[in-house]
Amino acid sequence: MPLKLFCCDECIPERKNHVYVKEEGEDTTQFLPLSNIETIPGSISERGCSYCGAKLVIGGVIKDCIQMIHGPVGCAYDTWHTKRYPSDNDNFQLKYIWSSDTKEKHIVFGAEKQLKKAITEAFKEFPEIKRMFVYTTCTTALIGDDPKAVCREVEKELGDVDIFVVECPGFAGVSQSKGHHELNIGWMRDKVGTLEPEITSEYTINVIGDYNIQGDSYVLQKYLDKMGIQVIAHFTGNVKYDQLRCMHRAKLNVVNCARSAGYIANELKRVYDIPRMDVDTWGFEYVKVALRKIGAFFGLEDKAEEVIAEEVAKYEGKLAWYKERLKGKQICIWTGGPRLWHWTKALEDDLGMEVVAMSSKFGHQEDFEKVIARGRVGTIYIDDGNELEFFEVLESIHADLILTGPRVGDLVKKLHIPYINGHAYHNGPYMGFEGAVNMARDMYNAIYSPMWNLAGKDPRVVDSPMWNLAGKDPSVVQEL
Amino acid sequence: MNDKIEEVTALIQEKCLWQFFSRSWDREENIEGIMTMTGKILNGDKVNLVTPADKAFYSDAKLLAADIQKKMPWVSELDKSGVLELIEGVKQRLLYITVKKSRNCELNLSNY
Repeated sequence: MPLKLFCCDECIPERKNHVYVKEEGEDTTQFLPLSNIETIPGSISERGCSYCGAKLVIGGVIKDCIQMIHGPVGCAYDTWHTKRYPSDNDNFQLKYIWSSDTKEKHIVFGAEKQLKKAITEAFKEFPEIKRMFVYTTCTTALIGDDPKAVCREVEKELGDVDIFVVECPGFAGVSQSKGHHELNIGWMRDKVGTLEPEITSEYTINVIGDYNIQGDSYVLQKYLDKMGIQVIAHFTGNVKYDQLRCMHRAKLNVVNCARSAGYIANELKRVYDIPRMDVDTWGFEYVKVALRKIGAFFGLEDKAEEVIAEEVAKYEGKLAWYKERLKGKQICIWTGGPRLWHWTKALEDDLGMEVVAMSSKFGHQEDFEKVIARGRVGTIYIDDGNELEFFEVLESIHADLILTGPRVGDLVKKLHIPYINGHAYHNGPYMGFEGAVNMARDMYNAIYSPMWNLAGKDPRVVDSPMWNLAGKDPSVVQEL
Repeated sequence: MNDKIEEVTALIQEKCLWQFFSRSWDREENIEGIMTMTGKILNGDKVNLVTPADKAFYSDAKLLAADIQKKMPWVSELDKSGVLELIEGVKQRLLYITVKKSRNCELNLSNY
């Protein structure tokens, strides 16, 4: 079947080019949904803005920086409570919010003085912190502030600080993806190669596209430590600013999230001749492949097999228990971009589940090529899906579970379909062998929870099972 | 041979990320490097790992060759020229799908 137009999109027929249902024998040379283009007016997008892509996804994870948001204080929303990327320095980056707090008068007369005041004040309040990210927002970009000039002035005055400026206001691109791009390229241009690392192993890598969601990076670090591999930098999970300046000294870039961070891996390959190796670190079988590939690159195959054997012994039985209960369950993956193609085959191969619909908020065509190549026949593939489309999908297919973020998750909960927060898990980590089991456990708990049987019942109805289960006398209800 | 080429291509489409790098030249380089290395491994030829790129191609090729041998027992019955014909056919199919006829408009953008 070619591209599909949902009934709810009859008034915006252009949406047809963003939805595809795969048929037997088709490949991506025949059909590829449009993506990474402006949302069509009339379609209520679930996307985030470009500034959010830079700040919330990449920069905000770095653990020893002041994250100065140059704009109205409302733009500081994308901070501590919206992602869970812990760090081993007491979660400094999750505890504090900084903003230049621009007001109308600054917009009229210029906000550079306000920015300089905020930066100086922030460094004074946190004297042990010497590194800073500064982000422009829509407001301060529109009035033509020059934050780079301000930051160079502060660096000169204070002497021992280093500041990185990300000029990517919310309107810079069609989605958060633009923010990923800008930060990657900017960091490569301004900071990589400006510091030399201490090398402790002949095997050195950067782990790229890994945000330590609920401790994902800790899991990977544990495996790599056992193999004797030094991670120069996790871009950007649980990492220091200065480690990221040393990325040019790695012998290999291992890329997990190619959509948010593949750009810097590409540039490191182009400029420093460091190979890029794309891996999947979600999924039990995929992690084996990832470790074997890294092992083969360094001639550490035996070490990789040791780690795999140890982890498989610990977790294989548990995964098998969940597989028995999850096989055949139908799920939708409605996430940002890469998790679609990371999770699809992993959930089908490891657990026997069936992915029946996928949607990407900010995926590019490259992501859809991967998703469709890995996906099943009959599955619905949607770019930049909107609420009404999601509801229509759920009317046309059976879904036992939705893997998505809180925005769409709360919508589907109203239909009494369980969802799991696929953006910032509640019970992670989900990476690695133990992560695959954690994810299976969460899916099992969500699908089999008795709450879903009760959620659709009206407690005011006398014979409601809710009251029976609670041991209440139904006559009590009459009095309410 | 065509069926065999399609079978290996389908496996690579499902499993391998290197065919979908961001730019045309990246994809072409990977397809050439990794498939050539895969052919050498399947034929039991000596592989010479000189550059970092060689090592990266070898890592991906080693896993792919093992997967092919495991899932496609017919590969062990091919002689050396048969393996080379298979590899060349797969290269052409992958180039067709991911580069020549790819609908990905970003493949040739300088700033992707």
